[in-house]
Amino acid sequence: MARVSIDPVTRIEGHLRVDVEVDGGVVTDAWVTGTLWRGMEKVLIDRHPTDAFYISQRICGVCPISHSHASALSSEQALGITVTQGARLVRNLIEAAQYLHSHILWFYTLAALDFVNPVNALSADIADTYALAQAAGTRAADFGAIATRLQSFVDNGQLSILSGHWWDHPAYKLPPELDLIATAHYLEALEMQAVAAEIIGILGGKFPHQMTSVPGGTAFVPTESKLDDILFRFLKVKDFIDTALIPDTLAVAPFYLDAVGYGKGVGNFLSWGVFEEAGFDAYKRFLPRGFAQGLSLEQVEPTDVTEDVSHSWYKSASGLNPADGETVADYTGYDADGKYSWGKAARCKGLPAEVGPLARMVVAYLAEASGQALTPDSFGAIRTPKVLIDSTLEALGVPGQPEVLLSLLGRIAARNLEAAYVADLSVAWVNELIGHVREGTLDGFFAEPTTDTGKGAGLWEAPRGSVGHWIDVQGGKIKNYQVVAPTTWDIAPRDDNNVRGPMEEALIGAPIEDAERPLEALRIIRSFDP
Amino acid sequence: MAQEAHGALYDLLAVRGVSRRDFLKYCGSIAATLGLSEAMVPQIAAAIESGAKLKPALWLNGGACTGCTESVAQADSPDVATIVLEILSLNYFETVMAAASDAAEKVKEETIAEGGYILIYEGSVMTGFEGGTLVVAGKTGLEHLKEAAENAEAIICVGSCAVDGGWVMGRPNAAEATGVQGFLNHEGIATPVVNLPTCPVNPEWVVAMVVQYLLVAGDDAAKFLEMTPMVTRRITDAVYGTDVDLLFPKSLFGQTIHDNCPRRGHFENGEFVTEFGSEEEALGYCLYKVGCKGPQTFTQCPVTRWNRRASWCVESGSPCIGCGGLNWVDNNTPFLMRLSDMWLGDGLTYVQPGSIAAVAGGVVAAGLVVHGLGMKAAGRVPGGAPTEEMKEYDRKRMAKKGGDK
Amino acid sequence: MAAHAHYREAHPLVFVITHWINLVCMVMLAFSGFYIHYPFFDGFMGVARGMHFVAMFVIIINLTLRIILAFTVKTATQLGSREVETDIKNWLPQKENRHQFWPTVKYYLFLKKESPISAKYGSLQKIAYLATVPLTYLMAYTGFGLYGPTADWGFFAGGVDMVGGPMNMRIIHYFGMWVFIIFTMIHAYLANIYSFAPSRIIFAWKETVESEH
Repeated sequence: MARVSIDPVTRIEGHLRVDVEVDGGVVTDAWVTGTLWRGMEKVLIDRHPTDAFYISQRICGVCPISHSHASALSSEQALGITVTQGARLVRNLIEAAQYLHSHILWFYTLAALDFVNPVNALSADIADTYALAQAAGTRAADFGAIATRLQSFVDNGQLSILSGHWWDHPAYKLPPELDLIATAHYLEALEMQAVAAEIIGILGGKFPHQMTSVPGGTAFVPTESKLDDILFRFLKVKDFIDTALIPDTLAVAPFYLDAVGYGKGVGNFLSWGVFEEAGFDAYKRFLPRGFAQGLSLEQVEPTDVTEDVSHSWYKSASGLNPADGETVADYTGYDADGKYSWGKAARCKGLPAEVGPLARMVVAYLAEASGQALTPDSFGAIRTPKVLIDSTLEALGVPGQPEVLLSLLGRIAARNLEAAYVADLSVAWVNELIGHVREGTLDGFFAEPTTDTGKGAGLWEAPRGSVGHWIDVQGGKIKNYQVVAPTTWDIAPRDDNNVRGPMEEALIGAPIEDAERPLEALRIIRSFDP
Repeated sequence: MAQEAHGALYDLLAVRGVSRRDFLKYCGSIAATLGLSEAMVPQIAAAIESGAKLKPALWLNGGACTGCTESVAQADSPDVATIVLEILSLNYFETVMAAASDAAEKVKEETIAEGGYILIYEGSVMTGFEGGTLVVAGKTGLEHLKEAAENAEAIICVGSCAVDGGWVMGRPNAAEATGVQGFLNHEGIATPVVNLPTCPVNPEWVVAMVVQYLLVAGDDAAKFLEMTPMVTRRITDAVYGTDVDLLFPKSLFGQTIHDNCPRRGHFENGEFVTEFGSEEEALGYCLYKVGCKGPQTFTQCPVTRWNRRASWCVESGSPCIGCGGLNWVDNNTPFLMRLSDMWLGDGLTYVQPGSIAAVAGGVVAAGLVVHGLGMKAAGRVPGGAPTEEMKEYDRKRMAKKGGDK
Repeated sequence: MAAHAHYREAHPLVFVITHWINLVCMVMLAFSGFYIHYPFFDGFMGVARGMHFVAMFVIIINLTLRIILAFTVKTATQLGSREVETDIKNWLPQKENRHQFWPTVKYYLFLKKESPISAKYGSLQKIAYLATVPLTYLMAYTGFGLYGPTADWGFFAGGVDMVGGPMNMRIIHYFGMWVFIIFTMIHAYLANIYSFAPSRIIFAWKETVESEH
């Protein structure tokens, strides 16, 4: 039995430590630690709701758009604002751009290096690489040039960001040609994530940290020329998703099929819903709200959330709903049996809940399976979650068995399939908005508050999972502010009843070939995009 | 000469199908970012082409949101792949590096031991709970920074958090965050620090500074400081309370956003946006009345722009919130008002200066009215009260003298 | 204070002019300042800024000139008197001012019935008037710290850093204006509470020979 501490976990947003107990080549216990506390909720107190929109997104530099939207939603609920249809569409587009940016960046820049070995790519045969790319239906690149570039890089002897990694780890299983394809797409993905970010730049001023989705609507006024600029970019990104991200996923998956056998986690899935529909009903959002225990779907409300702190470095009361939440930090050092994380243990209906693309796709799949239409007829043929999941299950040889999704591989696949769905939606929304602008059928972009006192819960979804901002405004100033970030759900430590959090639970049962180099554990950790 | 250099960047670019013309163009864009003249372009090209060895660099994340890392991933002149593969050997870069855990820490320790590297620091310096607000690999973020800073040739602070603590040091600064320079002063570490604020940092500025360091200064920290015009701004450290002098590259942080703003013409014309999403917004009127902090924020945003020049805050319709300023959250909130709120002490609240002034003015006006009525009632108006025969002081003194007698 | 005659010797013509310049500049500065602070109607910013800068230079020059003139021009030493002395001496404490600070305060708080003996200017009055001199220079200093062409001069930039940045400087400048507004309210009130004779002399240079009341 060995206790392994993975600290720091790299290629994630922020700071994370994970300890696993490995017995007989299998993880038997795990502790996940958020190692940074900055006190965002405290900074917001006594400021104005709009300030919260601007400041609170700075919790996370990788999903700031979603935080900003959750913050705006919370303020709008508190101040009695309903945003206009124009603002709704602009916000959906900024959010979509971030999803595409984030999912591409996650798959290639953050996660790929756990499966793809660029050092191994050096021994690829260029002709075979082209043949493989064609067979896999993935896009070609100048593979020869990339191999040369890689070779000169490696010859130089300074490995830069590739330094020190376990490149000889036996868990790398791809043939060199596929490694080369993926490495080429790794470089291209750096370009594509930036193209997606340019869309946010145009709509929101800059990325990370956008400027326009202020409570009340948006400060961005769309013009046809601006929308043409973003349409062109959405199409470019969508093309990359269809011709690289999805085929790459399907090409790599067969080499790691054992990953459907572990990494499942708690099996409870929460989605607050994201991408607002015309009626502003969270259960009808393009990715709808819902809570799934396994594959059974139920409704969920903000009051279902509690945060336990008995294993977290806080001395405020445990088990509070964020509407009455408190944040009183009290660092007492790492103690795996006691307090060991800055993360609070978020619970939904008393249960640990996984959030993120897998959770959203499960909820959407179940909603669709029960007959709910996710997109309006006017959008035409869009690859909805059910269509995407069913076709992928078929491609992997497990048709009609959505339960295989509840695994490490499923979590990765769900993220990329979601990217395909969002790419389709984004193009439909731009066209819808262009139509409105052309015909002048929009009702403005900003609505004033109707009160200066109230409470609100802004529940939304970041690419990495459910985000909730709870606000209490009195006399135009913030009395209390609580954030339950995506990571709060997934990296949650044990709760008051000593029940593990989703990532901790997902690690249990994972095979570890070499306890000194727990690459498989890192795959599971990163599959949550923490 | 330059073409022959082995492993040169230009060769690599040529392999990727980049023509010499394109290459010079991108060197030109670096020169423009640096504020250098076109005449420098061949020199820049030569410097990059001849750089066979990559410059070792460490990227440390303190109390960060990873936004500055994200931002640098959006650089395009040169792009991030070129930076990490052909300019810098970023041996430690948590968000992007392949290795994790001990393997990652080991590379970092080796680089520190060898020396001769640049340290890039993102995020606030977390001093709360003796550093317990950030612990990585069993050591506090403070220890990590100290170790990496002592042996570095120079430190580039990316983003406002690294400069002075950023939003994290905003009231009440519960996690006791501060900036790198303040912390290093406190620790007596004299490694030169260059500050690149805004939240997040603008990637083109980081790239410009790296190229400036390797090019103009020939990889020499002292020369870099000597040859790069700097603005010095003095702050009071958020944690230690000491005076700290911060260095900012003048070409990037010497002028206000207001001075370079494309909407400046509308400002002078007195054409303003009063409501978001309005007709005036569509016309691109000035955002001054909705609280734009451009007039007091010294950054080059309107020139460099963001996300590969796609747009920037003001162009998209939002007022500047001053994220490139010092203590930017406290100094600029409420963002949508002209003046920041004033803190009236613990347990009280923030008040707008205008409210304080109006109350003071109102009280005085009311006081004068009441006083005037009093003067009338006392019969002093008109004509005044009769003047005393003798000063009170003299009368008392005389009385006292009389008493003595 | 009982009613006095107001003679031209109290305020020679040159000081009537400097007072007028002060008044006009102050009104322009406050108005344009308010406008620059928050433009309450459209189309005036360029003019407002121009007005602010011109008035700013004029008032600084005017004040400096006024200080120099204080050493060369003779003014009346007492109200209702034609006896003159170098102006600056009438600004420094005179023997009539001695020990009269608290009695003056008490008089205005209705704690003392009779008007205290006073020189041309009472103790409080002198302090208040003299305070406008450094205050004007402070406004100039804070203003230059915010003014594009001068903001990066070390002399001003150092002050901006000291107060914690341009926003705080702007707030100080803003409050400074309010101090002037409040000063002017009190000044106008006290100067004219007994009669408009002081206004007649300072604005129109018309003497009021003796009390009309």
